[in-house]
Amino acid sequence: MQPTAFIQRFVYRPEFGPFVLLVAQLIIFASFSSAFLSQGNISNILAFTPELGMIALGMTMLMTSGEFDLSVGSVFGFTPVLMWTFFNTGFSSLEVGFLLAMAVAVLIGFTSGWMVTQLKIPSFLVTLGMLLVVRGSALYITAGFPQRTWTTDSPFMDIIAGSFHIGSFRVYASLIWFIVFALILGYVLTQSKYGNWILASGGNTSSAIARGVRVARTKIMLFILTAVMAGYAGVTSSIRVAAANPNSGTTYELEVIAMVVIGGTALTGGRGTIIGTILGVLILRTMRNGIVLIGVPGLAYNIFIGAIILIMMALHSWLERRHRAGV
Amino acid sequence: MSEDLIRMENINKFFGRVQALNNVNFRVRKGEIVGLLGDNGAGKSTLIKIISGVLRPDSGAIYIHDEKVDIRNATDAIKFGIETIFQDSALVTQLSIARNLFLGREPTKGPRFLNRMDQDLMNAEASKLLKQVGISKDIPPTTPISALSGGERQAVAIARALHFKTDLIILDEPTNNLGVEETKGVLRFVRNARDSGSSCIFIAHNIHHVFQVVDRIVVLRGGKKVASDINPAESTIEEVERVIMGLSETEYTI
Repeated sequence: MQPTAFIQRFVYRPEFGPFVLLVAQLIIFASFSSAFLSQGNISNILAFTPELGMIALGMTMLMTSGEFDLSVGSVFGFTPVLMWTFFNTGFSSLEVGFLLAMAVAVLIGFTSGWMVTQLKIPSFLVTLGMLLVVRGSALYITAGFPQRTWTTDSPFMDIIAGSFHIGSFRVYASLIWFIVFALILGYVLTQSKYGNWILASGGNTSSAIARGVRVARTKIMLFILTAVMAGYAGVTSSIRVAAANPNSGTTYELEVIAMVVIGGTALTGGRGTIIGTILGVLILRTMRNGIVLIGVPGLAYNIFIGAIILIMMALHSWLERRHRAGV
Repeated sequence: MSEDLIRMENINKFFGRVQALNNVNFRVRKGEIVGLLGDNGAGKSTLIKIISGVLRPDSGAIYIHDEKVDIRNATDAIKFGIETIFQDSALVTQLSIARNLFLGREPTKGPRFLNRMDQDLMNAEASKLLKQVGISKDIPPTTPISALSGGERQAVAIARALHFKTDLIILDEPTNNLGVEETKGVLRFVRNARDSGSSCIFIAHNIHHVFQVVDRIVVLRGGKKVASDINPAESTIEEVERVIMGLSETEYTI
């Protein structure tokens, strides 16, 4: 392949825009604040990023199939509350509590997926209802109070959310899990036949059905995947911050959807990219961190996020038109 | 054993109080191209949706190779060797030609649990098929469908049916919105399909196109079959138009 052809292909990939934006952002923040690229700050960014990132990975797969899930923030808050309630009340060990809570996340995902695919209710409405049911359940179970999470010293906690040092750089286990999940889901989406089914389900549902693709089953599995990823991320977060707050994860759904679309996945389905989502996650997380470091008031954060979404949507729309034209 | 590939007997289908199909009998013989004609609302789409597993009849029986079958969904239809090329929804425009050709039946390689698509094989087969269906331009199989013309899209859809050795290909308005050359190409593909042993049901509003390619014409009107053995070699387009509109006094065998 000619070098120019390679560059041209790279430029027209959906990941190119977010990649350039991330690099520009890093250069700007690093040049305005010497603390931005310090080991402590990078470690700080990487502590929370994988948690939102895991939800974004699941959401990428779901959105590629043409659906989305507004209940992820609630599931993020509810799953750890359930796990710690099981444990704190002596109902089960922490490990069994984890499995039970994840089984509930599976049930939440299945219910949403079933209602969307079998009752033909738009995912916006189903998952909006689920958001309220799940958040309400978390608040009801806990009477609004956070659950204790520091009464055990289980190796299970280290596996999920422990940390270790490379020199003075602190690495969280969640980062490793995030990378593992990204590799698996990236493989599924681009290399496996299921990826083809997911893209087809989002691109042209009736065509996929006519080809014998089990669209309903595919979408239900993706709703389950998204809920499980959100629940797992919530458990990770609860261990890291030593609190299972029934209100945690509020409005994460919008931040996660923003990360996914900034990365180049189409809101309407048919196009999805895990690499783009990773870039989208990094863009929003470094933005949040960077603007504080360079002295922009934190309250102005949403202005930047909104502007980035608008710019990236314009870019993706232009790329989509070129793609359709076969350029 | 009869020479029927598919036979439908006394098919009825209601949508609420509206009867879309009224005791329709329909058959396609092996290696035959049947033109299915009728005005809007005649029941053509309902009939082919039943054959392709999108809809289920309220009553009636379907036989394939003389064996009674229940076509519950599109997967069943594909299993019975029926491929439907719908007017607009035949392909996923975001996916490449190769990925569309093998959608739902992707070849895999490596350990089975990985379900890894054999994309090299898919691309190589797609290139061969594109040549077979007469796409002369050098179009890479990785090209997205969105970049193809209407005729090229139909060619890809037909190539898919040919590749999987389909017994019955249903073409729903395949020449709609196509230019003269593209239409000729589609009609050629249909003849090729018959030559390679497939039967076809050809639905088109343009009766001229139907006359060029079919062996027999079936006409539906108001959910009923009003003619089933019109031989295009022995009839005129005007006669068939009169049957479609209910103006003909000619009796055709039903």
